[in-house]
Amino acid sequence: MDRNLFHVTPRGWAGLGLAAFCFAVLPAVVGSYWLSILTSAACFTMAASGVAFMYARLGMVSLTQVGLMGIGGWVALRLNYAFAFPFEVNLVLAALATMICGWVLALPALRMRGLYLALVTLMAAGGLEIIFSTFQFPNGGSGFWGVKIGSADPFRGPALAPGPAAYLRYVVVMVTLGFLFIEGHRRLFPGRAWALIRRSEAAAMAAGVNVTLYKTWAFGIAGLLAGASGTLLAGSLGLLDDGTFRSPESIMIFALSVVGGAQYWLGAVVAAVLYRVLPGLLNQWGVNADLAFVIFGAGLLHAVITAPDGIAGQIWGGIGRLMSRRKGGAE
Amino acid sequence: MIEVEGVLVRFGGVIALNEVSARFTAPVAGIIGPNGAGKTTLMNVISGFVTATAGRILVEGEDFLALAPHRRAHRGLRRSFQKDQIADDLTVFDNVLVQLDFTLAGGAAKRAEVMRMLDVVGLADRAGRIGAELTGFERRLTDVARCLVGRPRLVMFDEPAGGLSVEETHRLGELIQGIHGLTGAQTLVIDHDVELIARVCAETLVLDFGRRIAFGPTADVLADPRVKAAYLGTEEVAP
Ligand SMILES: Nc1ncnc2c1ncn2[C@@H]1O[C@H](COP(=O)(O)OP(=O)(O)OP(=O)(O)O)[C@@H](O)[C@H]1O
Ligand SMILES: [Mg+2]
Repeated sequence: MDRNLFHVTPRGWAGLGLAAFCFAVLPAVVGSYWLSILTSAACFTMAASGVAFMYARLGMVSLTQVGLMGIGGWVALRLNYAFAFPFEVNLVLAALATMICGWVLALPALRMRGLYLALVTLMAAGGLEIIFSTFQFPNGGSGFWGVKIGSADPFRGPALAPGPAAYLRYVVVMVTLGFLFIEGHRRLFPGRAWALIRRSEAAAMAAGVNVTLYKTWAFGIAGLLAGASGTLLAGSLGLLDDGTFRSPESIMIFALSVVGGAQYWLGAVVAAVLYRVLPGLLNQWGVNADLAFVIFGAGLLHAVITAPDGIAGQIWGGIGRLMSRRKGGAE
Repeated sequence: MIEVEGVLVRFGGVIALNEVSARFTAPVAGIIGPNGAGKTTLMNVISGFVTATAGRILVEGEDFLALAPHRRAHRGLRRSFQKDQIADDLTVFDNVLVQLDFTLAGGAAKRAEVMRMLDVVGLADRAGRIGAELTGFERRLTDVARCLVGRPRLVMFDEPAGGLSVEETHRLGELIQGIHGLTGAQTLVIDHDVELIARVCAETLVLDFGRRIAFGPTADVLADPRVKAAYLGTEEVAP
């Protein structure tokens, strides 16, 4: 129906190209250490895409994205041990449950502007951290919380993807679908409403846009992606640890999304690479992985001072200049 | 018909509108007055951005003050602001289409209507441009096109000619005069350009310090000595 809905931009081609590379080449050439790190990075790419999208489109700051991932992972594990649903059913149900939990946590703040959402989501992240560390994640035990002492029962991964290499491919496909989901929204009526809301809420209302509804919608998408990424992370490890979902991690993912470049798909990838791959590299080189925090801090300063569009903005800008110089030289 | 009845607005100690009443019946009506007179505040009350302490606003008999701002737009209210409200990252087309997104009409019908109104304002050939590439006048025209789609009943312009050249103001005046014939909507225009008001508005409301000091046919109002003292008096002081 929409002529431009399926138009692929150059950056879009680059994204599809990277996805194809991560699907076809990466899983075949890396060992098990890097398979697990890259899978985790792909999961966090999806979570980062949610916060980044909300920040870039509406200026909304959510500081509970990793906490919401925890909810998604919890629901997926709970469903896995309680029922015999296939992985995909658990994935969808966990994503929806996370979306709803996100709304419940944030609804009072969605009507308000500016810092309130950030503060409310930060408190939510703190609350979730306490719940996760108190009750832990289901591992096959009995009762509602489903926790038992000792080793976890087996987790049913997707039937389509047996083994870690296939699972990385599976996650790459899901992350790509997540990006397409966001981009589709951006190109249709919600994207128009969001663009006008960002211009000015008064102008949006005057144009008939229900501002609270569309903000809630955006928050719902971020929650959906967090829930799906939490499920995918659970599927990668077969179990989850509460240490993964502490509230500083949510702040970190938000900050890295800004460093990466919130308005580009590449920004979310950069954020996840910094968050997961960089510590993995430092580890492999025998350097203390806490050095990553120093690098994050430098990256944030760099973004604040010289790169308002983040690292992705600089990469695209650099490529753009290179292309135009090439063209200029050829003529 | 637009009925404004006893509208009272206070901002802390400031009385921005002091029981203002007016019954607009002309296709195009003007609202004038010196800076800070309460013109924009009146439009904000009608749009729902400012809450009146007392009073009523009726648009063709329908009580508007009970509706949320976006619902007023659904019921046929359109407005532009002193500053244009064009999203830089949307095309001209999408900037207008957004106004129709709440309706359940088919996509093709909406697209056709957007194109028709872009044609009216003279932007049909620039429909695919993004907002960031537009000139000031083109942005203003996009605002006007957005006000025309979706069967408006009341269109309000807040200083639409601000920053425009003489020819551009003339073109804008023609467009405003055409709105009633094109859509059936009534139009309210705020502007400091008295020439523009005299040309396009059959009736005019004059505000000063939140009070109505005159209301009626534009020629009579502009000839009113009280208006000359209040409004034109400040014109002389201003450079
Ligand atoms: N949101 C607000 N809070 C406090 N005071 C306000 C607010 N909006 C307007 N006012 C005050 O109300 C009075 C009327 O302002 P308004 O903007 O309606 O004037 P105006 O007639 O549109 O003037 P101008 O020609 O300068 O646009 C002014 O004294 C202004 O300072
Ligand atoms: Mg004003």
